[in-house]
Amino acid sequence: MVWRMGTAIRTHGLSKRYGATLALDSLDLEIEQGEVYGYLGPNGSGKTTTIRLLLGLHRPSAGRAELFGVDAWRDRVAAHRRVAYVSAEPFLWPSLTAGETLDFLGKLRASTSGVPSIQSPRVDLAYRDRLIEQFELDERKKVRALSKGNRQKVQLVAALATRAELLVLDEPTSGLDPLMEMVFRECVQEAKARGQTVFLSSHILSEVEALCDRVGILRDGRLVEQGTLAELRHLSAQTVDVTFSGPLPELAPLQGVHATRTGPQTLRFELAGSAGPLIDALAGHQVATIRSRETSLEEIFLHQYDTSPEHVPS
Amino acid sequence: MSPLDTATGPELTRRQGGITTSAWVLLTRRAFLDARIRTIVFVYVFALYAYIQPRGYRSAYPTASQRQAFADSFETNRGLRLLFGLPHHLASVSGYTAWRVGGVLAIAAAGYGLVAAVRATRAEEDSGRLETVLAGPVSKRTVGTAALAAIGIGIALLWVAEFAGLVLGGLPAGGAAYLALATVSVIPVCAGIGVLAAQLAPDHRTASLLGGVLIAVLFLLRVLADSLNGLGWLRWVTPLGWAEQLRPFAGAQPVVLLAPALATLLLLALAARLAATRDIGTGVLSSHDTADARTRLLHSTTAQAVREQQGVLIAWAMSVGVFLFILGTVAKSISPADISKSLDKDLAKLGSGAITSPTGYLAFIFIFVAVAVCAFVCGQVGAAGQEEAEGRLETLLALPVGRRRWLAGRLGLAAVAATALALTAGLLAWAGASTGSAHVSLPHLLEAGANTLPVTILFLGIATLAYATVPRIGQVISYGLLAVAFLWQIVGSLLAAPQWLLDVTPFAHVAAVPTEPFRAVAAIVMVVIGAALMLAALVWFDERDLAHD
Repeated sequence: MVWRMGTAIRTHGLSKRYGATLALDSLDLEIEQGEVYGYLGPNGSGKTTTIRLLLGLHRPSAGRAELFGVDAWRDRVAAHRRVAYVSAEPFLWPSLTAGETLDFLGKLRASTSGVPSIQSPRVDLAYRDRLIEQFELDERKKVRALSKGNRQKVQLVAALATRAELLVLDEPTSGLDPLMEMVFRECVQEAKARGQTVFLSSHILSEVEALCDRVGILRDGRLVEQGTLAELRHLSAQTVDVTFSGPLPELAPLQGVHATRTGPQTLRFELAGSAGPLIDALAGHQVATIRSRETSLEEIFLHQYDTSPEHVPS
Repeated sequence: MSPLDTATGPELTRRQGGITTSAWVLLTRRAFLDARIRTIVFVYVFALYAYIQPRGYRSAYPTASQRQAFADSFETNRGLRLLFGLPHHLASVSGYTAWRVGGVLAIAAAGYGLVAAVRATRAEEDSGRLETVLAGPVSKRTVGTAALAAIGIGIALLWVAEFAGLVLGGLPAGGAAYLALATVSVIPVCAGIGVLAAQLAPDHRTASLLGGVLIAVLFLLRVLADSLNGLGWLRWVTPLGWAEQLRPFAGAQPVVLLAPALATLLLLALAARLAATRDIGTGVLSSHDTADARTRLLHSTTAQAVREQQGVLIAWAMSVGVFLFILGTVAKSISPADISKSLDKDLAKLGSGAITSPTGYLAFIFIFVAVAVCAFVCGQVGAAGQEEAEGRLETLLALPVGRRRWLAGRLGLAAVAATALALTAGLLAWAGASTGSAHVSLPHLLEAGANTLPVTILFLGIATLAYATVPRIGQVISYGLLAVAFLWQIVGSLLAAPQWLLDVTPFAHVAAVPTEPFRAVAAIVMVVIGAALMLAALVWFDERDLAHD
C-alpha cells in the first residue's frame, strides 16, 4: 500500500455491519492534512458509524481505517494522541463541574503522551482560557446543572484547546445557539489557518458550506458524492431565471434544459450542462433580465436525496 | 401483536376520552417489561427456594423423633436467627419451612422492592426518557402510578412463585398462601422507601445507596430483636419484623398486615408530596449546582473512579462496620457455651459451620461478609459498565486512553476496596467482641476478613467476564450467580446432595475462619480462576464494539 505523507484520514473498503444492517458499505476516504472535510448525510446514513470506526470504538467488519498512517482499530491509543473528538451527544460526569471536566480531560491527554517520537497534543492553557471566555462557559457549574448546549460547549473547549492535529467533530453545534455557532465557526477557521485537519460531520448545510474545502455525501452507508463545492455544483443543475419584456417565446425543446413558467413574464431554466445552447436559443427574443445563480449546497443535497433509490449513483 | 402495540402516540391524542387510561396501561407495561429480567430471576429463586426447603427437611429428618431433636436444639440457637429469624414449631414441616423460607426470602424481597422502585422511578427519570413521556399528554401522577402498578405486578408474580413452590413442596395451600403473603408484604414497604429515597437523593445511584443503608438498618433491627432478650419489641419497627409477626404456621395474625399497608401508604404519600415540590432530575437534598474546582483525583481514569465511587465505598464500609461491630458485641450472649457434638453436625447440615462459641458465631457471620463483599465487587463492575452504557466511556476512549488500562484500573479499585471492606469487617467485629467481653483475637478476625477475599476475586472475575462479553445483562448474570451460589450453599447440604454437587458452589470452599483453618489450596484455586477470568475479560473487552443505549 502506498502511503502519501500528509494524509490525515484514510479508509479503504471500510464497512460495518450490525446484525442484518449494513451501516457502512465499503467507504474509501482520503483526507489530506490541513483539509476541512464536510461529511454530510441524513440521520442514519452512517456518519456516526464512520466516526466510531475512525476512533476505534467499533471494530470494522471489513476494510480498514488509518489516522496519520496508524491503524485506527489496532493502535487506538497511538492514533488518538493526534486526535481530539467532539461527539453529538455530550456524555460527561454529572458530579464534576465544567472546569473540573476540562481539567480531567486535559490531564488524561497529558498523562498518556509520554512518547517523545510522537507529537502529542497538549492542552494549551492560555488558549483554553480564551475559549472558555469566547464560549461564555461557567466553569463553576456542575455538569448535571448544564443544559445540553452548555455541555456541548464543555466538549468543544476540551477538544479545541488541545490544538490536536485532527479534530473529529460529530454534529458539534447541536444544541448551540446561533451566536455560539458563530464562535464555533471562527474557531474552526482558526484551526484551519493553523494547519489542523477537521473532519466535520453535520447536517447543517450552511455550516459545511461556510467551512469546508471538500464535502462527502453519505447515503444509506455509501459515499454517493464527493468533491469540492465547485465540483459538486458542476455536477448538478444550475438555475437561470429569464424575464421577457415582450410575449413569452415558444422555444424548441433543448437537450439538457428543463423550462418551467414561474410568472407572467418569466421562465426558469434548469441546466444540466453548459449554458451555451440556451443563450443561442434566447437570441432574438425580447429578454429584459437574465439571472443565473449557483446551486446552493442545500439544493445539491436535496437533489441527492430526491432521487428515488433506484437512481443512486454507483 | 396485542391491541396495545397499535395504540401509539398519535392514536392517543386523537382519542380524547381514553388518553389517561391508555397511556397508563402503556406506561405500566413498559415499566414492567424494563424490569423483566430482574423479575424473572427473583421469581425463579423464590419458587425454587420455597420448593426445596420442605422437601429437604423431610428427607433430612424423616422421623418424628429426629424432627423433635432438631427442634429442641435449634429453637434455642440464636446465631441462626441472623438469617432466618425467629423459629416456631421446628418439629413440623410447615413450621420449619416458615422459618427457613420466610426469613431468607423476606430479605430478598426487601432488596427487590428497593431496586424495583428506584429503577422504575428515579433511574427512568435520570435517563431523560421521562421528559419525553411528560412532554406528551401525560401527567407526573400517571407516570408515578404506572411505575407503582408495574411493581405491583412484580409483587403478585413473586407471591405466585413462592406459593407454587411451597404447595409443590407439599405444604397446605391456605398456609402457603399466607406465608407467601407475609414474605411479599415486605416489598411494598421497601418500594416505598425506594420511592422516598428517589425524591430525596440527587440521582438514582445515591437513591439506591440511601435506601440500601436504610434497609440494612431495618435488617439489623430485626436481627437484634430476634437475637437478644428484651429487644423483641424492635420487631414492631421494621417491615422484616412485621413479616415475622404475621406468624405464618404459628397462629396467624393477619391484622398485622395493617402495619406494612399503613407504612407503605405513609411513605408513598410523603414521596408524592416531595415529588410535587421538586423538579425532574433533581432531588430535595440536591447538592449545590455550582462549586469551586477540586482538582484532586483527576489525573487518571482510576483516580476519577475513586472520586466517583467514594460515597459508595464509605456507605459500604460504614454499613459493614456497624453490622459487624453490633454482631461482635452480642457474639457472647448469642452463642450457647456448652453445646453437643451432635448439634454441631446438625448445624453443619445447614451449611453454617459450628455456631457454638463466640468465635464460631463470628466465623459464621463472616460467610455473610463474604457474600456482601462479593456483591460489592459485582456492583463495582456494574458501575464501570454504567460508564459504558451511559456513553461516558466513549468520551474517555476517544482520548489516548487504553481500554485494557481503563478496565484494569477499575478492577484494581474494586479489589483494593474489597480488601479494605473485608479488613474493616474483621477490625470492627473484633472491636465489638471486645466491647462485649468475648475474647477473640484481632489477628484471628482480620484473618476471617481476609479469608473472604479469594472468593471475592473469583466473583470479580465472573462479573468482569459477564460485563465484557454481554455488557447489557452482565450485572444480572453476576448477581444472579452470586445468589444461586449462596442459596445452594445454605440448602445443598440439607438435600443430602452428592458431595461433588455440593462442591459446585464456591462458598463450599470458604473455610469458617477462625474456627476452621484457612484452606490455602482452595483459596489459590479461586484466585487463579478469578484472575484467569479477568484476563479473558480484558482480552475480549479490547476486541469488541463499545455498547451504549
